[in-house]
Amino acid sequence: MKSQTRSTKTTAKKTTAKKKSLKTYTFKNSQKLFQRALKVIPCGIYGHFSPAPLIPATSYPFYAERAKGSHFWDVDGNEFIDYMCAYGPMVLGYNHPGVDQAAMKQLKRGNCITAPTREMVELAEQLVDLNTAADWAFFAKNGGDVVNQSIMLARAATGRTKMMLVKGGYHGVSSWMQGPGHYGVVEQDCASNVYVDWNNIQQVENAVSQHRGEIAAFLATPYHHPTFGDSELPADGYWQKIRQICDREGIVLIIDDVRCGFRIDMRGSHEYFGFKPDLACYCKAIGNGYPISALVGREELKTYAAKVFYTGSYWFSSVPMAAAIACMKEMKKINAPRVMIKQGKKLWDGIAKMADGYGYDMKVSGMASMPTLRITNDPSMMLHQDWCAEATRRGAYFTSHHNWFISAAHTDTDIKKTLDIADEAFKAVKKKYGDEY
Amino acid sequence: MSYELVKSHLNLYAVLQNLEELTVMDKEMAELTRDWNISIQFSVKGGPKAYIAFKNGKCTVGQGKFKHPSIKLFFLSPEHCNKMFDGNGNPIPLKGFTKLGFLLKDFPKLTDRLEYYMKPTDDLLKKKSFLAVNTKMTIDTAFYASKELLQHDELGQIVAHKLDDCVMMMKVLPDGPAVQMEVSNGDYNIMKSEEKKATSVMLFSDMTVANDLLNGKIDAFSAIASGAIQMRGRIQYLDALGPVLDRISHYLS
Repeated sequence: MKSQTRSTKTTAKKTTAKKKSLKTYTFKNSQKLFQRALKVIPCGIYGHFSPAPLIPATSYPFYAERAKGSHFWDVDGNEFIDYMCAYGPMVLGYNHPGVDQAAMKQLKRGNCITAPTREMVELAEQLVDLNTAADWAFFAKNGGDVVNQSIMLARAATGRTKMMLVKGGYHGVSSWMQGPGHYGVVEQDCASNVYVDWNNIQQVENAVSQHRGEIAAFLATPYHHPTFGDSELPADGYWQKIRQICDREGIVLIIDDVRCGFRIDMRGSHEYFGFKPDLACYCKAIGNGYPISALVGREELKTYAAKVFYTGSYWFSSVPMAAAIACMKEMKKINAPRVMIKQGKKLWDGIAKMADGYGYDMKVSGMASMPTLRITNDPSMMLHQDWCAEATRRGAYFTSHHNWFISAAHTDTDIKKTLDIADEAFKAVKKKYGDEY
Repeated sequence: MSYELVKSHLNLYAVLQNLEELTVMDKEMAELTRDWNISIQFSVKGGPKAYIAFKNGKCTVGQGKFKHPSIKLFFLSPEHCNKMFDGNGNPIPLKGFTKLGFLLKDFPKLTDRLEYYMKPTDDLLKKKSFLAVNTKMTIDTAFYASKELLQHDELGQIVAHKLDDCVMMMKVLPDGPAVQMEVSNGDYNIMKSEEKKATSVMLFSDMTVANDLLNGKIDAFSAIASGAIQMRGRIQYLDALGPVLDRISHYLS
């Protein structure tokens, strides 16, 4: 009896300790460094790492000091469980020993040399073995490199100029990819773009009919994951119909698997959705952070991949190739997409259930390994933005404008801690908003 | 639409409306116009129509035709209209010949004052009262001009396709001024105060930050990062509007 009492007391103590509020972070050093950066770097930090869409920016770290596993530490010493994973490239965990060892070993042998090393051949063989859309592989650095190449290839193969794209789809930063209405993009840059809505087969048919014999390629991501919007999976039979239309019309079907690649299916995301593209673009997760991208394709297009002159100063560097070999081996060994989907599901289900307890509807869209979360109660997103910021200030790095990423390094302990943080963040926004949004 | 035609839209629909604020915020102009009971119709051949009406100490600027205006001023072309706004041309009076004295003596006092506020210098901006008027006029003009560009400028029309229904707002904290643009089914409604719940907001920490940003003296990125400017809500629409806001100076220098 005595011992039972003691045990109850201990549990009560633990519960009390658990309820103690988490520390909220400040970002003094990030701000200081950013002010220095502004003097010498356009907008301080540009592109997708820019603080501009972080709301409010003052609740986010701007600069990292170091990273390990699923965590990173900023220049103020704050620790974060990272749900952006460097916007996708981190897939096995930061500083993964197997990947880093392979890279370091290669670095000692040589990196950027006058001729490629055997790793280039080995990596291509590995991709061809692994990816069911790959009869060959071509390597570059960024996702945008290979997406742009895929369009050139489709044009070379078909002798046509136009490309069909999904409205709101992201494919990179070349002017034709950004589309009209952006700084530095002129109308002519996008003159070959034909836009259709996601999941709308009729629009595809209409566009094909309107531009019959002119469309070289249909380019889309495996599922729709627009910035500032919910993700949308393909409707039943969508990709199969697209495949049929492309075959019927002689259009090259290109899948931009840069973001989803290796987070849905090791054989390529197309396998999960039950179709085969003609060309598939990969980057982000291939090298666990080492800079490399790949275009893979079917045999018939190999000759055009050879004919289109396409290259870059660092595209033959062997360190990222060695890293990619190790990364893909490890991902295959542990079936990384399955791990990420499983861990993601645990977390997002937990968050959605928790939100419900606070009277919030948390919409989780897209695949569990890279979902988009949104509290729907406030259509303006301000409530959701505040919740993400409150979580980030307590150590779970959440953004409000973009899909999140989970990695194979996110552990059950991470998930438990993240749920604790999410709970405090819900409390904070409930206190701020009450039931008014 | 030609450059001159778009510019005439901006002059009549984005610049002229500032007279409403001028006759409220500037004591001297409020006093000057207090007893005015007169209306002026501006008509551009093949272009926009606008009016200014003064009654009971209130100035109202609107688009389209005014019923029974006291004075009718006509422009042979958008270019003719723009020349007047640039100080290099005169309109053709079609009605109100007995009011020519008003047009030549009294009304220019008001338009000169408008020009004074709309062409700020660093010294003038140090005056709190000037800063307040200039900032209010600048944020209002930004949204009124955006509305015209979204409808008539080539780039603006491209951006217009990216805007879903929303209420965008620019506001100086804590108490304003504020201006809102409601986008609804491709129509644009400008509100000169915080009338509706905004879905896309740009909040300025103070008047100087707002003025500096809109006059291109600070960049938005540093101001956002430091918290001097807060963007909240459906920020993609404010982001999309950026090139349109920058386009205003292509027409109104």
